[in-house]
Amino acid sequence: MSSPLNAEHDLSEVTLSGIKKSFGQNPIVKGVDLQVGEGEFLVMVGPSGCGKTTLLRLIAGLEQVDEGEVRIGGVRVNDIPPRDRDVAMVFQSYALYPHMTVRENLAFGLTLRKLPAAEIASRVQEVAGMLELSHLLERKPKALSGGQRQRVAMGRAIVRRPKVFLFDEPLSNLDTALRVQMRGELARLHRRLGATMLYVTHDQVEAMTLATRVAVFNGGLLQQVGPPLDLYNRPANQFVAGFLGSPAMNFLEASRQGTGFTGRGFTLPCPADVPAYPNRVLLGLRPQDLRVVSQGPLAGTVDAVERLGFDGYAFVTTEAGLVAARFDKGVSVAVGDTVHLAPVSDALHIFSADGAAALRHPEQQASLNAAAGVAS
Amino acid sequence: MKPWLALALLLTALGARAAPGDARPLKLWHAYRGGEESALVQATGLFTSKTGIPVELLALPYDAYAAKLTNAIPHGVGPDVFIFNHERLRNFHAQHLVAPASGLMREDYFPNAVEALEVDGQVYGYPMSLKSLALYVNTKRVPHVPETTNALLTLLPALSDADAGRFGLAYESGDFYFHAGFLFGFGGALFDDSGRASFDTQGMARSLAFVKGLQDKRFIPQEASGALVKSLFNDGRAAMAISGPWFAGEIASDVDYRVVGLPVVSETGLPIQPFLGVETAYVSARSARAEQAQALARFISLGEASRVRATVGRQIPADVAAYTLREVREDTLISSFREAARHATPMPNTLEMARVWEPMKLALRAVLQGGTAPEDAGALADRRYRALHRVRPPEASPLPWLGLVGMVALGGSVWVLRRPAAAHPFRRRYPDVARAAAYLAPAAAGLAVLVFIPFAVGLGMSLFHHEAGEYSFVGLANFVDILASRGYRISEPLSFYFTLAVTLLWALVNVVLHVSIGLLLAMLLKNPLLKLRGVYRVLLIIPWAVPNYITALMWKGMFHRQFGAINGLLVALGLEPVSWFTRFSTAFAANVVTNTWLGFPFMMVVALGALQSIPQELYEAAEVDGASQWTQFRRITLPLLKPAMLPAVILGSVWTFNMFNIIYLVSGGEPGGGTDILVSEAFRWAFQRNEQYGFAAAYSVLIFVVLLGWSAFTRRLTRASSEVVG
Repeated sequence: MSSPLNAEHDLSEVTLSGIKKSFGQNPIVKGVDLQVGEGEFLVMVGPSGCGKTTLLRLIAGLEQVDEGEVRIGGVRVNDIPPRDRDVAMVFQSYALYPHMTVRENLAFGLTLRKLPAAEIASRVQEVAGMLELSHLLERKPKALSGGQRQRVAMGRAIVRRPKVFLFDEPLSNLDTALRVQMRGELARLHRRLGATMLYVTHDQVEAMTLATRVAVFNGGLLQQVGPPLDLYNRPANQFVAGFLGSPAMNFLEASRQGTGFTGRGFTLPCPADVPAYPNRVLLGLRPQDLRVVSQGPLAGTVDAVERLGFDGYAFVTTEAGLVAARFDKGVSVAVGDTVHLAPVSDALHIFSADGAAALRHPEQQASLNAAAGVAS
Repeated sequence: MKPWLALALLLTALGARAAPGDARPLKLWHAYRGGEESALVQATGLFTSKTGIPVELLALPYDAYAAKLTNAIPHGVGPDVFIFNHERLRNFHAQHLVAPASGLMREDYFPNAVEALEVDGQVYGYPMSLKSLALYVNTKRVPHVPETTNALLTLLPALSDADAGRFGLAYESGDFYFHAGFLFGFGGALFDDSGRASFDTQGMARSLAFVKGLQDKRFIPQEASGALVKSLFNDGRAAMAISGPWFAGEIASDVDYRVVGLPVVSETGLPIQPFLGVETAYVSARSARAEQAQALARFISLGEASRVRATVGRQIPADVAAYTLREVREDTLISSFREAARHATPMPNTLEMARVWEPMKLALRAVLQGGTAPEDAGALADRRYRALHRVRPPEASPLPWLGLVGMVALGGSVWVLRRPAAAHPFRRRYPDVARAAAYLAPAAAGLAVLVFIPFAVGLGMSLFHHEAGEYSFVGLANFVDILASRGYRISEPLSFYFTLAVTLLWALVNVVLHVSIGLLLAMLLKNPLLKLRGVYRVLLIIPWAVPNYITALMWKGMFHRQFGAINGLLVALGLEPVSWFTRFSTAFAANVVTNTWLGFPFMMVVALGALQSIPQELYEAAEVDGASQWTQFRRITLPLLKPAMLPAVILGSVWTFNMFNIIYLVSGGEPGGGTDILVSEAFRWAFQRNEQYGFAAAYSVLIFVVLLGWSAFTRRLTRASSEVVG
């Protein structure tokens, strides 16, 4: 029982097969298959209502699946109550027990499992030290700040050394600076504990920075799962492409015409490696791959400008729609200017006309990394 | 011109006052209704047409009547003549409310009626009508009326079948008013030669044994109330009943009956002699027109007026001449009652009489419902009587008290005057004081009148002893008597400590049950999946919405030994029926059941509200942490409920501590005052034991002190637990 925290995580992989869940008449999860490996940090992202929180609660056992199977460590847990699944959950609003001190909050799960008092005390001490809560142990939750409560909630989960950690949007109630700080701590925690962690958020920055793999959900279905950069560079469909990256990718309708793609008011050269394409496609261009130039394929009037210090984004109304493009510090752009936009070399993503499938992604990936780190 | 006019008017007014007040009406007060009232109106109408003096009648509700007389007459604003029964005569006499009947001629009335109105050899008031008990016989079932108790005993077996709910005889066996006839018929007397009540007599034992025998053989129903007797007789399930003239008006039209005198007791040869009540016309001692008042009182008790009262009012006239009239002679009811009254003994009008009721009730209960042997019941009554008839405490001098008050006042004023003057004058510090006072005034006035003034009066009264209208200062003697448990052992029901213990037990048991049941139901109701949640909520609030004295009476009926629903249920389940009010444990349980039915909705509602304020997430977190349902309840729900439930519990405990209605109406303090709580005990001292107001006030002050201590204690509890949820 005194083994270090990161030892006992055999058999902690989570497998979801064919999960379906409805609330009343509303189907929320419409058929999800997902496998989370041991020691992975899987982040589930998606817009509100996409079913990611429901999935988390299904794994925890707080809801029952309508169809499908949940396995933890290879064991089917559909009919096992939450307290016997050996998972720990950190709630969005922390759910600290208001009538107990921090120490009692941390120790609660352990006292329930009848661990010896000495063991409980030592674990609480260890976790409090890890999370810098040692000086707060005798306080009650209402005497703590948001960040401190967050850490107590995490501590409560850590101290139990569960097979799987479940995080339900734990940082969404914090201010930006604190969020950045906590993100770092979470990453450190994962490295230190090496535990399997499932993390739900609607914030794609958290997804990109914390995850070993990211699972994107929309409308109750899994859109794509994979390492963050994979999803960023090679999104499987329009939804994933538009979800990751900020500002979002620009989408332009176009049709194949000879060696180029022509849309409303523009023509872009067709890349060489492109096989036979359907006539109508959806072109994807990230704002970071577009520049404001004196002459270029796209032209329009600047509608809005966001200056971020080292660079900025101009939102340009073109014939093909509103397009966002990046400009460097030195370039002067003002609202109302007429500007031209041009893509950097090999920046074109090509999707089917309905956006459901990706047909082509650019080869260069290294240069695209920087954009992902911009704070939201 | 003007001053002369004013003077002239003034003289006229004075002159009007000085002239013989023939034209001003005589005031007559009564408590009649219906037929009796119409008869009185007619009778006084006859007086007016004969003498020209108008009479102004005022009908009063019976409960307030005596108190009103006591308050009004000494201040000169009372009636000239008033009609009341004769039992209170001694009280009236002691309070100087009545004048001797100067115009009365003894031979006009029946001797025992006049006897009833004698005090120290003088007759006060004019007898108007007689009230006594008689035997009502259902002529279809009882063709031959029993004239002796042996004949009665022969008849009864055939007329009774207790399993079918039929009885040969029904009457209110637990009420001493009804038992008195048996007592006197068996040769017992109520008072000894010195005029003090004496209970431990042969006659008492024999009469009790006789009635117990009737009950044991199931010839008479147990715990019979007036309503029960009436319903049994009307349904034909009681062949005979003992009751008074008022009963005639309650009998159903399809029942053929006769009224006869009560039988003769075979062992003694004496007839059963019930109490005789004489309704009397009294003349107020403070009447401004004594002669005319006397004339009025005399008039309505005799002659034409008497005839009218007999025929229209169905009263039994007390004057001899009435019975020569054809209408009266031929009225079977009236003449039957007249015959029955022949053997009636006037209820003594002494103060001692008023002290007899409670001990006798105890004795009757003990024999009929408890297991006490008839020979021992007299001694039981004796003991209770002596305990209640407190020795008058010695008068104390108020001087030390006044000195104390003076010193406090002096010290207070010195303190106030010596305080450094406020930096700003009062006006400047509180510029809005006038407006604030205006807002506060109505509530403050209400509080003052309803709370502070009565409290102060009660506090003051606890230092006095009250007897027959006189207050005498006795200092702390009342408190000493109560706390030293003078006159009875600490473990007896009359002792303050016994009652305190019972009250504490009562409060504790009730609050525990209220909270448990309320919480349990709230836990069940909070589950949103429970269908018909709204319906259940309403059903549970109904106990709360029904006035609690109605609830109390309903439950009392359900606990009735023979006809109650609870015993009916027990019998249906194959169990023995329980005599609920004969043992302390069962009587206490009956009270607790009733009060719990009343009290749990409040706790349920508070708990429900508090439960809904606990976030669901806490339960989920606990669930994931490993808590079972029960652990969640114990470690999450209960601690978080505490801040809400604690005030409710404190409130509930204070309400229950003073819950008079249930104790008074359900168990009535039975057995023998055992289930009385402090507040009902105080009530009895004040209103059932000869108006010992000072003693009762002292009791109330002690109750206040107990509750004050409790509030102080609980205030510390709430402060300690107030910082839980943030």
